[in-house]
Amino acid sequence: MSRERTMHLGISFSPGSGSAAAALDFGLFAQLVQKAEANALDMVVFADAAPFEATTLVAALATVTSRIGLVAAASTVAHQPYNLARRFASLDVISHGRTGWHASMTQSPLEAANFSRPDGFSPDGFRRRTEEYLDIVQGLWKGWDTDALLFDKVGGRFHDPAKMHLLDHKGEFFSVRGPLNVARSPQDTPALVMSSLSASDLDIAARTADVVLTDEVSPESAKLFHDDLTARAAACRREPDAVKIFVTLEPSGTPAETADRLEARFQSGTCHGFNIVLPPQMAALDDFVGGVLPELRQRGLARYDYAGATLRANLGLAGGGAS
Amino acid sequence: MTANRRQMKLGAFLWATGHHIAAWRHPNAHVTAGIDIDHYIQLARTAEAAKFDLIFCEDAAGLREANIAIASQTSRSIGFEPISLLAALAAQTSHIGLVATASTSYNEPYGLARAFSSLDQISGGRSGWNLVTSASHIEAANFGSTGLRPHSDRYERAREFATVVAGLWHGDGANALNHDGRNFSVRDPLDLPPSPQGAPVMVQAGASDEGRDLAARTADVVFTAAQTFEEAKAFYDDLKARLVACGREPDDIKIMPGVAPVVAASEAEARAKVDELQELIPDDVGVALLSSYLSTDLSAYPVDGPLPELPATEGMQSRQALVVEQSRRDNLSIRQLARHFAGARGHWRVVGTPAQIADELQARFEGGAADGFNVMPSYFPGELDAFATLVVPELQRRGLFRQDYEGRTLREHLGLKKPVRK
Repeated sequence: MSRERTMHLGISFSPGSGSAAAALDFGLFAQLVQKAEANALDMVVFADAAPFEATTLVAALATVTSRIGLVAAASTVAHQPYNLARRFASLDVISHGRTGWHASMTQSPLEAANFSRPDGFSPDGFRRRTEEYLDIVQGLWKGWDTDALLFDKVGGRFHDPAKMHLLDHKGEFFSVRGPLNVARSPQDTPALVMSSLSASDLDIAARTADVVLTDEVSPESAKLFHDDLTARAAACRREPDAVKIFVTLEPSGTPAETADRLEARFQSGTCHGFNIVLPPQMAALDDFVGGVLPELRQRGLARYDYAGATLRANLGLAGGGAS
Repeated sequence: MTANRRQMKLGAFLWATGHHIAAWRHPNAHVTAGIDIDHYIQLARTAEAAKFDLIFCEDAAGLREANIAIASQTSRSIGFEPISLLAALAAQTSHIGLVATASTSYNEPYGLARAFSSLDQISGGRSGWNLVTSASHIEAANFGSTGLRPHSDRYERAREFATVVAGLWHGDGANALNHDGRNFSVRDPLDLPPSPQGAPVMVQAGASDEGRDLAARTADVVFTAAQTFEEAKAFYDDLKARLVACGREPDDIKIMPGVAPVVAASEAEARAKVDELQELIPDDVGVALLSSYLSTDLSAYPVDGPLPELPATEGMQSRQALVVEQSRRDNLSIRQLARHFAGARGHWRVVGTPAQIADELQARFEGGAADGFNVMPSYFPGELDAFATLVVPELQRRGLFRQDYEGRTLREHLGLKKPVRK
């Protein structure tokens, strides 16, 4: 199997709750992300949870970092697809191509109750709605060609109208004309990160996702999942390794033990990297980047520096998602 | 200057390359403004160094111009989404208020309250929400609507929306909201920590009767467009009277009309600056804007000729009649009239030296027609720099504007009460 020699590493901070969340200020998040960036980690994945709404947090963090990927969770129930696509397109221009949208395939009953949907959706209805939603968002992200903006002051031509495209989507749940009023992303489109996949979501993920977050399961189950997703992606005519599989886990044991655990899983060829869950504390991040990371680097399993300037470049992703 | 003298509030209204329709073509305009976050960071820092109360961003969830050929000759089809833009600017500033526009027509109150609360957390209590309702068919087509809601429906939704948002912001975070209304149902309290300024500042801009009523009940700041002193004064007095009728104090709302200043060391230089911008308006852009304003297609008439006789249409209102009258009186060609109209965009334009501009602002401020102004520079960064370095010191010298920030939150800058959480 042809694959990268080094693993991708992302960080997720376990959500605080109550007074613990209130104690987290923006300055601490900035320091944590800057530390992760100083250690060339691929990305930080933010839950949409107290004390910040995730997209606003990512916008602010984008201006105090320059290389690390910033992924925000945002719910398909809380936002209209046009608004969500626009928010992330804007984040991607602010961050110079370093953002990703973490879309969940499970509906939260809490959200339905606060977003004028007290009855929620049926599981099948929610899946069809989410699939349509993802297609709209990814379509809107491609509404402007990369060379659409002319900035021709003398000729009076700001953009080339032929390089701006209407979406004209009319579906079961939404109708959206487009285009976005935000320029094309510096990394083509924001990365689409998906999690909480059930068996019936796999075709959607295989067609649209750039990164899939999975739980740590037995080596046999992990291989089945990897092979299944890879085959489905190939059926959608996507390149091998077009969808990066990240295993979510919390480090435990000594740095060497954790490195052993990551190495074994990575070398089995069933994942591309790891989403490391840490409490939002500097000491916990220090332990990882000062203990586990050097161990991985010594074994030739982790990068010393960034491979590129955008999240897609660092993850080894082609542009796009669904085509 | 006396310590307790009432001082004006100033907003810096940031809009891509500038407020003039042809701003982007000006040799000194930053033409890539809509894709350059560093440009906005620089503008925010300029405004903060000049002690502006706030920066303000307008918004539309869609293109601004349906005619694609016309749109491609303006810079307004692409830009940043305001909430993400202001969150980015929050991390790069320390005092200035951050006000973003968001529509009640295509959002849900829980999500919007949450986003502005988060902006408030990130900025240490500097966020504000400018409530608007959406009237544009272009926006409507991005949200699955078959047609626009009638005005009263839009305002009914806006009223309920504002009530829910205020309930979430003013709640104690523990008790359920349990709102079950005609447009929205929201069960839980907001899941974010309390605002450092009590609640984000509520801003409104609607000038209609319903808009004024909603503002009188819920707004902390009102932006408005007024060409003449009389117009500004009438609006000011009307809104403050409505405020009192709602049981609020007159000072509970700051009324900040828009002003489009063009300043230079001499009046002649200032006039030359205006002419330079007017020359840059492409004929078809100017004529299209004028046509749409007059509800008559003027593209078939010679652009150097006079305005043709216009049929009296139902769409023709008093202000439009004034435009026609002016063209007759001043013997203006279609091109001249189009440029005149497109350049000013219906806002109050003041052209002159720093002292002349300060005189005009002072007259409206002290004459009871404004609590402050939302400053709309014709192009960026040059004309914001000019206002900050020429007009602001003049206002400070006269004791009309602060020398330094008195507090850290937007409510403190504006002199607004901190709401009590229930």
